[in-house]
Amino acid sequence: MSDYDYEELGLVAGLEIHQQLDTATKLFCDSPTMQREPEAADRELTRYLHPTKSELGELDQAAVEESRVDREFTYLAYDTTCLVEEDDEPPRRVDEEALSVALQIADLMDLTVVDQAHVMRKLVIDGSNTSGFQRTMLVGQHGEISTSEGPVSVVDLMLEEESAQRVEETDEGVVYSLDRLGVPLVEIGTGPDIRSPAQAKEAAERIGMLLRSTGSVKRGLGTIRQDVNVSIAEGARVEVKGVQDLQGIEDIVRGEVRRQAELVEIRDELQARDAAVGDVQEVTEVFADTDSGVIRGALDSGGKVTAVPLSGFDGLVGREIQEDRRLGTELSDHAKRHGAGGIFHTDELPAYGVTAAEVADLREAVGAGEGDAVAIVAADPETADLAIEAAADRAESAVVGVPEETRGANEDGTTRYLRPLPGAARMYPETDVPPVEPDSSDVETPELLDEKAERYVADFGLDEGLAEQVAFGHRFPLFEEAVEAGVDPTFAAATLESTTTELRRDGVPVENLTDEQFLGLFALVEDGDLAKEGVNEVLTVLAENPGMSAEAAVEEAGLAGVSEEAVREAVVEVVERNAEQVEAEGMGAFSGLMGEAMGALRGKADGEVVSAVLREEIGKRS
Amino acid sequence: MQPGDRVRVERADVTNEGVLMPSSTSDHLVVKLDGGYNVGIDREAADVEVLESGVHEVDEGGANEPGEVSEISFDEELPTISLISTGGTIASTVDYRTGAVTARFDAEDVLRAVPDLAGRANYRGRVVANILSENMDPSIWTDLAEAVREEVEAGADGVVVMHGTDTMQYSASALSFMLDTPVPIVFTGSQRSADRPSSDNVMNAVCAVEAAKADCAEVLVCMHATESDDRCALHRGTRVRKNHTSRRDAFETVGGKPLGEVDYAAASDADPSDGEPASGVSFRREHAERGEAELSIAPDLAADVELVKFTPGMDPAAWDYLDGTDGVVIEGTGLGHVHTDLIPRIEELVESGTTVAMTSQCLAGRVCDRVYDTGRDLLDAGVVEAGDTLPGTAKVKLMWALANVENPADAMGRDLAGELTEESQPWR
Repeated sequence: MSDYDYEELGLVAGLEIHQQLDTATKLFCDSPTMQREPEAADRELTRYLHPTKSELGELDQAAVEESRVDREFTYLAYDTTCLVEEDDEPPRRVDEEALSVALQIADLMDLTVVDQAHVMRKLVIDGSNTSGFQRTMLVGQHGEISTSEGPVSVVDLMLEEESAQRVEETDEGVVYSLDRLGVPLVEIGTGPDIRSPAQAKEAAERIGMLLRSTGSVKRGLGTIRQDVNVSIAEGARVEVKGVQDLQGIEDIVRGEVRRQAELVEIRDELQARDAAVGDVQEVTEVFADTDSGVIRGALDSGGKVTAVPLSGFDGLVGREIQEDRRLGTELSDHAKRHGAGGIFHTDELPAYGVTAAEVADLREAVGAGEGDAVAIVAADPETADLAIEAAADRAESAVVGVPEETRGANEDGTTRYLRPLPGAARMYPETDVPPVEPDSSDVETPELLDEKAERYVADFGLDEGLAEQVAFGHRFPLFEEAVEAGVDPTFAAATLESTTTELRRDGVPVENLTDEQFLGLFALVEDGDLAKEGVNEVLTVLAENPGMSAEAAVEEAGLAGVSEEAVREAVVEVVERNAEQVEAEGMGAFSGLMGEAMGALRGKADGEVVSAVLREEIGKRS
Repeated sequence: MQPGDRVRVERADVTNEGVLMPSSTSDHLVVKLDGGYNVGIDREAADVEVLESGVHEVDEGGANEPGEVSEISFDEELPTISLISTGGTIASTVDYRTGAVTARFDAEDVLRAVPDLAGRANYRGRVVANILSENMDPSIWTDLAEAVREEVEAGADGVVVMHGTDTMQYSASALSFMLDTPVPIVFTGSQRSADRPSSDNVMNAVCAVEAAKADCAEVLVCMHATESDDRCALHRGTRVRKNHTSRRDAFETVGGKPLGEVDYAAASDADPSDGEPASGVSFRREHAERGEAELSIAPDLAADVELVKFTPGMDPAAWDYLDGTDGVVIEGTGLGHVHTDLIPRIEELVESGTTVAMTSQCLAGRVCDRVYDTGRDLLDAGVVEAGDTLPGTAKVKLMWALANVENPADAMGRDLAGELTEESQPWR
């Protein structure tokens, strides 16, 4: 990939970051914010949403495309959700803990907190909110974060409720889980001040660090979501949704710049060639006897083939604009939105079972000459018509340039078309919740994680790597509590970070370990009741036995610690004492001797090990 | 500076532009920003510049006046259903610029708010009142009964009354006593306001219209049967009670299963041209059939009736205000009891000519004052037992009985409109 001069291209990017807060209760009710497995649901309800005509009249294109009439939404409810999530009880007041975390975040990003925050209802009709809207409030404005390439403005900070998690799509509609609905979420939007992919990553990193510094944000998959807005001077604003990680942000910006730059070049070429998109037509006849699996399949189930001639497009439809993605892929994405499997185009044909003769017939059928391309769709009649129109529309905009749109992030750093850009959100006041006047005066500015890491080095003598690991990890409050209690800092840090990482790699469920268990373990080591060498083993037992105390785990580990040698020694002794019986009965003596051997080991050893060793020893002697 | 003006507000280092909203407090300006968010800004600390006056009309009213009748296009194949509004939010619309919720009402407004109603019937629209249902007044019950009679006379094949849920059961009871009807009179409303896409108003309204088309001639309450949008229950107007503050399925028939139900899937897929009178409607028990009764009305009520609840520790003086009332319904404990000390008070009331009826705060079950001494003393004091009539229904019934029957005390022990079962058979 060629490296672009981002300044020359006029790269402008901004971020929108959504982060779940780790509060005790949800934003508008007293349900806990814990995640549940769908299997744990104890109730189900089904609902429909009815945006009225006046609402739809004002709805933007994206929302209309998202909503399909008569979709049935099924909601899974748990013993940790209540009537508020079910939209069967009015919301409570804004959760104070969530608001205070939001104020901390505002403070860290130099945002001015509003005098009075008004809870709004943002219309969302895809079923992800039982009410048909998301409650959201503007908390802060006009902030800034710093990056090595200059400051990036933070336009606003919103505190809002998280949507319900989509569980599955059925023929009738969608199944959602109510556990996530209502979890407090902050949304942070930066200004369009980012000028390079590296700066985008740095800004996201900085925001992430500031968020985690509060110690009150959720960690783990799906708890932070990053969207990136990217445009180049001759391109267009494109919103990329759902970038998974920080490295991803840099790749996405890089990839999107490349896509837009390539599309601009294609546009120039198309315009130079006087390119145009012709009329859509049916070309089923051309493929009447085709051996192409895809087309054959569509035709055999009553489908048809539609085509659009792309005059002047020859060679450009197949031109790569991102890793393994071509202009043809863009046409295909649009066709897919309307239910087709994709498109074929002449830049890639003959292939997929389509013969050179068929390509020639196709060109002739639609009047495509040299320098022209043709795109086709094979599907059921309705889909074939809609999909080829969508592809034709996309080809048309290629002549104009880069279309504005919402795209989804792919894992390889490329993006795919999702939907048109959303219009201004439809919002109206949430009359059930009174406005709040946030009081920032007693907000404590938390220590930043990078400052924390430096302090751990200076005060506790941790080496830099370990200090950073602890400070940026989610167990730093526990670390500080342990050090406060007199535990050796390096030992505590190493246990909490290196040891747990090591155990996780060995498949130990370390996520089960509780603060109490760690503190109990540290106390035992400090008091000399447990050698440091035994820590791994005890942690393993604790992780596998949620709720067990450190003391009990030490005992348990001690029991499990009878080595095979010790077992063999005990077994050999038993076998030798009963040599006559072994000789006479062979394996017949097994069950009698097994009891004796277990007795000799006083139940300390694993029965399976004892049994295996005993069989072996009897075998040797009979 | 007026609500609806486009303004620029400077406050410390933040400058906001947007539309000024009607503010909720005198301390704050509320501005709707271009992104849609409302934000409250300290009036004193803000510098405001009006950029353009009256950019948006901030409409704070606009509801129809009571008394108007509206009708929309007519299809001879379809039955005619009269939609009567008493207020409530089943057909309210929201203005996204201001957020104001406006209750509108003529037949066209209802169809606009609930497009799913279109094609099911010819509609007549009518406003009897525009109030919150907690402000419902017996004089409006009378107006409502008169309006229903006029609508039926004008050819309505069924009537749907859109009513706030708080006092729906009282209004439904009142109409049950006041009217002999040859067509269904179906009350419906919504527990979640119509300004949200999740409102229960659409399903309740669709099911109510289907019920109003059915072969039935009862006063019914049609509301969600479960928390899901799957079916509505049809409750008899005199046996129904709102038993939850907020759930969609708040309404229940006390002491048994509802009279019938409407399956929403069947109702919403209804094809009016298939000749079926009503879609998805089924009944569990015997009910008055369409056309059996002659239309007649007895809308008078005695206003002077109180419903009082006895609770332990009550000061007997709390009942002093009952002196001279025409009727008193007591919500007693258990089988129908009050503290022994209150019995002389009741005796005085009866002697002075007040009709005193006993119901139970158990709600389900029949009062029986012959089991314990207190009960026998109450009967001796002149209390009449209202059987298993619900306390709220008993109040409405006594108001009606005092104005319309010769022996109200006797009427309280008899069934007049399905409010009292003759036999304590578990309802199936």
